[in-house]
This record gives sequence, C-alpha cells and structure tokens, in this order.
Amino acid sequence: MTGALARLARALCGDSRRYLGLAAIVVLCLLPLVVRNPFYAHILIMMFFYASLGLAWNIIGGFAGQLSFGHAAFFGVGAYTSSILSVKLGVSPWLALFAAGGMAAATAAAVSYPCFRLRGPFFALSTIAVAEVLRILAIYFKEFTEGSVGILIPFKPGIANLMFRSKVPYAYFALLLMAAVFAVSWLIEHSRLGYSLLALREDEDAAEALGVNATECKLIAAVLSGFFTGLTGCFSAQYVLFIEPFTEFSLDLSIMISLTAMIGGLGTSVGPILGAFLLTPLQELLRAWLGGQQQGLHLFIYGTVLVVCVILLPNGLITWLSRRLLSLLRHLPAAAAE
Amino acid sequence: MSGQIFGQVIISGLLLGGVYALISIGLTLIFGVIRIVNFAHGEFLMLSMYITFWSFHYWGWDPYFSLAFVTLALFVFGLAAHRSIIQPLLGAPPFMQIFATFGLSIALQGAALFFWKADYRTVQTSYSTSTMNLGPIILSWPRVIAFVVALGITLLLFWFFKHTYVGKAIRAVSQDRDAAQLMGIDIGRVYLITFGLGAACAGMAGALLMPSYYAFPMVGTNFVLAAFVIVVLGGMGNVTGAFIGALIIGVVEAVSGVLIAPQLKEAVYFAIFLLVLLLKPSGLFGIAGAEEVGLK
Repeated sequence: MTGALARLARALCGDSRRYLGLAAIVVLCLLPLVVRNPFYAHILIMMFFYASLGLAWNIIGGFAGQLSFGHAAFFGVGAYTSSILSVKLGVSPWLALFAAGGMAAATAAAVSYPCFRLRGPFFALSTIAVAEVLRILAIYFKEFTEGSVGILIPFKPGIANLMFRSKVPYAYFALLLMAAVFAVSWLIEHSRLGYSLLALREDEDAAEALGVNATECKLIAAVLSGFFTGLTGCFSAQYVLFIEPFTEFSLDLSIMISLTAMIGGLGTSVGPILGAFLLTPLQELLRAWLGGQQQGLHLFIYGTVLVVCVILLPNGLITWLSRRLLSLLRHLPAAAAE
Repeated sequence: MSGQIFGQVIISGLLLGGVYALISIGLTLIFGVIRIVNFAHGEFLMLSMYITFWSFHYWGWDPYFSLAFVTLALFVFGLAAHRSIIQPLLGAPPFMQIFATFGLSIALQGAALFFWKADYRTVQTSYSTSTMNLGPIILSWPRVIAFVVALGITLLLFWFFKHTYVGKAIRAVSQDRDAAQLMGIDIGRVYLITFGLGAACAGMAGALLMPSYYAFPMVGTNFVLAAFVIVVLGGMGNVTGAFIGALIIGVVEAVSGVLIAPQLKEAVYFAIFLLVLLLKPSGLFGIAGAEEVGLK
C-alpha cells in the first residue's frame, strides 16, 4: 500500500505530462467558486455526485467485472440509514454519514456473497431483484421509513448538521466525496488487489488456479463499493432534504450509475468521471430545456443519444479519447523528471 | 380463508399468470437464444397496447380483431429494432447491449409520453367487464380469453420448435451457438427471426391485455420485471417453462397478496426469484448448466 501511495504522489506531481492532471485538479477545486448561477452550480454538484457513484460502482463492476444493476440498493440503504438516524433518533449527521456507509457496506457484503456464484446477466438480474425487494420493504415498514410518503429532512443549515444555505459547500462536499472514491479506486487499481480483480474479471477459473482468492477479493471490492455508494446516498439525502422509496431504490438510478461508469470506460479510475461529466450535463440540460414544455421529448432524445453512444463507442469514451489524446500528449513538453 | 375465497384467489392467480405468460414467452425467446437482456420488452408491450387503442379509437377495430395486425406490426418493429440496434452490438462487450435496450426503452417511453401524453387509455367494449360464473367462482372474460390464447401460443410454439426447420435451428442456437454455426445454421438470421418473434409475442400480449387493462407510457415497467423473474424460473429460452413459471408467479402473487400483505406480493416473488437463482440457476425446467452456455 505504501508503494502505491508513493506512486500516487509521484503520479500527481513528479511524473512528466502529469501536470495536466494537476491542472485538472486545480480547475475542479476552483469550479465551485466560479460557477455562481444556481442552476449551473446544481449541474456541477450532480456531475461530482454521479462521478462518485460511477467510481464506487466501478470498483465492483469495472475492476472485478461483477456487473451490478442494483446499486440503488446500497444508495437507498445509505440514504435511509442516515436520514432515520439523524431525523428520528437525533444522531449527528456526521456520524450518520459513516453509519450510512457502514450499513451500505454491510448490505453489499450480505447481498454479494451468495450472488457471486452467478455469472453474466444472472448476477445483474439478481442485483436488480435485491434493490426491488429493499424498495418494497422500505414502503412496507412504515414505522421506520414513513412508507411511500418518504422522510422529510428538516432544514437546519450549519456545518454541524451537514446542510448548507448555498450550493458552494455542497459542491465541495460532493467534490471531496468524488476525490475520496477516486483516490481509493486509484490505489486499488495499482495494488495487488487491483491486479487480482482484473485477473479474475478476465478469467475467474484461471485466476483461482494461480492462487487468487476470488471470493475474498470480490467481497472486499463489493464492501468498498457499497461503502462509498452509501456515503453518496447520505449526501443526496442531505442535499435534496427528502427521500422516498421510489427514487432512492429505483432501477433507473441503478442503470444510470452503471451507465456512467460504462460510457466513460470500464475498469479505469478516470472513466467514470469522464462518463459523469458527459452524461449529467446532457441529461440536466435536456430536462431543463425540454422537460417543462414538451413532456417526454427530453426522455426521447436522451434515450436516442444513449443508443447512438453505445453503438458508436461500444468500448467506452476513454478508449476512444485516449487514442486521440495520447498522440496529442506525446507532443507536449515533458517535465525534467523524465 | 374459506374454500370459496381460496378457489377464487387461485383462479385469479392462474388468469393473471396467463397474461404474464404471453409477455414472458417473447422475453424468454430473446433472452434464451440471443442472450440479450431486453429491457425494452415492456415497451414493446406498451406500443402494442397503444396500437390496439388507436385502432379502436379511430377505426373502431375490436381489440381481438386487431390482434393479428398488432402482432404483425410488432414483428416488423422487432426486426427493425434488431437490425438497427442489437445486430451492430452483437460483438460488443455483452453489457453494452443492455444499455442499448435500456436506451431504447427510455426513448420509447419518452416518445409515447410526447405523442400520446400520460393519460390512461382504455378500450370500452361490451365485454370489458363481463364475467362468467364457474360455480361460486367468478371469472373475467377478457382474462379467460388471454389465458386460452397464451396456452394456444405455447402449444403452437412448442410444435414450431419441434417440427419446423427454423424452430429446430432456433433451439440448436440456444443450446450451443458455436456447434449450431458449424452445422451450417445462419446464426444472424436465427437471431433476427427470434427477436421478431419475441416482439410479436409482446404485441399479441398487448392486444389481449387491452380489453381488461389500460395503456399508459410506463405500463411496460409494471410487467417487465415480473417477466424476467418468470423467464429465469422457467429456464431461459424454454417456452413451456415460461408458461408454467408464469402460472406459478401469478398464483404466488395472488395468494401472497391475500395471505401476507398486498404490498409485499412483489417482494415474495422476487425472493423466490433469488432463491431459484441461487439454488437452481438453470430454472425449474432448464437443463443444469444451460445457463452458462455462451455467457463467457
């Protein structure tokens, strides 16, 4: 792990051409301050938000190749855990945040362990079923969850309550979340665990024959993925201030999460960020421009763009971009280190 | 629960199962043969319900009269969807296909919402609410007809798969696509026909549902998840399995709605689904190990 940390540090500043990465980080840090218009600030927050979700999904879906279409389950568990704790039991939202992550991680472990035997579409379908069951249970157990009515989170702004008047702190909150998941997935990508996951993604039987403990690796990936998805669920509850079973556990959300990672490029730490930065503005702008006047038109365009994107870029945006960008990068002046 | 209510619940469940069967048969063909998780299947159903509704609205066509027309229309639509969306992605990473069908599903829902609005559309016929009495048990005529047609389609497809060249080719491809190709079967053609047939089944289901149900842009999502449960329960690509699985899920849904709680009936069949996946992923009637063929 220390070796990987050193490499991360080197990658961020020492290595050649990586100053582009540094520049990107500076831009990302300044963006929340620059974007003052509340609508664009919302889009920015949503971009960080979906990037976090896509990155978290990517740990189990991308690196380990276990394609989940039920990540809304962990998201919903996170949102409900934190909201029930903070609204009903008066726990500090900061504690509730980590409880949300913990609960989601535990759910991920409990759900994934038996489901890992399933391969291909069967794993995907089982994850959908799990999210649906959780949604139905959230509707049924009204004493805890308020059922279909949902939980309204009283607005008490302040850093202690993890709620803010302006969008700027939310944007930094989401950015921090994104940075955390990015750092963790970068560390995984360049660690023994990451290599093991890649190996078992390509051929599980061969990887096991070479001594990779497939179940253990996948379980760790699932727990990490669930944990960060749960954190993001809590963030969403603190930002929207309202949760209800149909949005928190929806299949649409699950698909959107996996789609973000897929469109960007599977199994890379940058891919989900690219995917989120492409899809979220598209979706939000379409909804804003067309959603109000012509019901359904924005959905039609969004769906069509999706189909076209998938047909044109079946290997993800990053494979397509990197081919073009790499040649450009080679022409950039390199830093002294190389 | 008295015997009469119990009998009524079981019969209602079986009739609901008949509706599920029509939708699942098409899905099991597509899932079992092409190995594509077709999320747009519910939207095929939605489209066919709207076609039935508009032919009734503008031309006064009885839903049972438009049945053949709607089935044909959806067959053609299925061919077009396969050619333009599925076929280019057959060599792509398998899960890109899911996103493509999901995109198609969103686009079709959006188009329906845009052109036809979110209103619930019903077809008012003389027999929409008519019932027949079987002793103390009351049956809805449109549901009985849907059930009988579902049974008929299952038998017809069973015969088709057993005795025609195309049917045998489809079965061969679903069992082992490489071996089938080596035997000289044109796989691309089999996929195309299968996708069309699957969509046609959804078309038939829509026309048969219309007299007793209502059309709206999101109607497909009510059925598609149940249909996936049934497909896995019955074994992928197994038409008879899908029919029996649909009856089981219909009865389970009706009985658990009465015995446990109406809100929990879906949770019960999803729980059954998970158990089947974990204990016998080839389904109740599938061949063991068949679920892994062609997945790697």
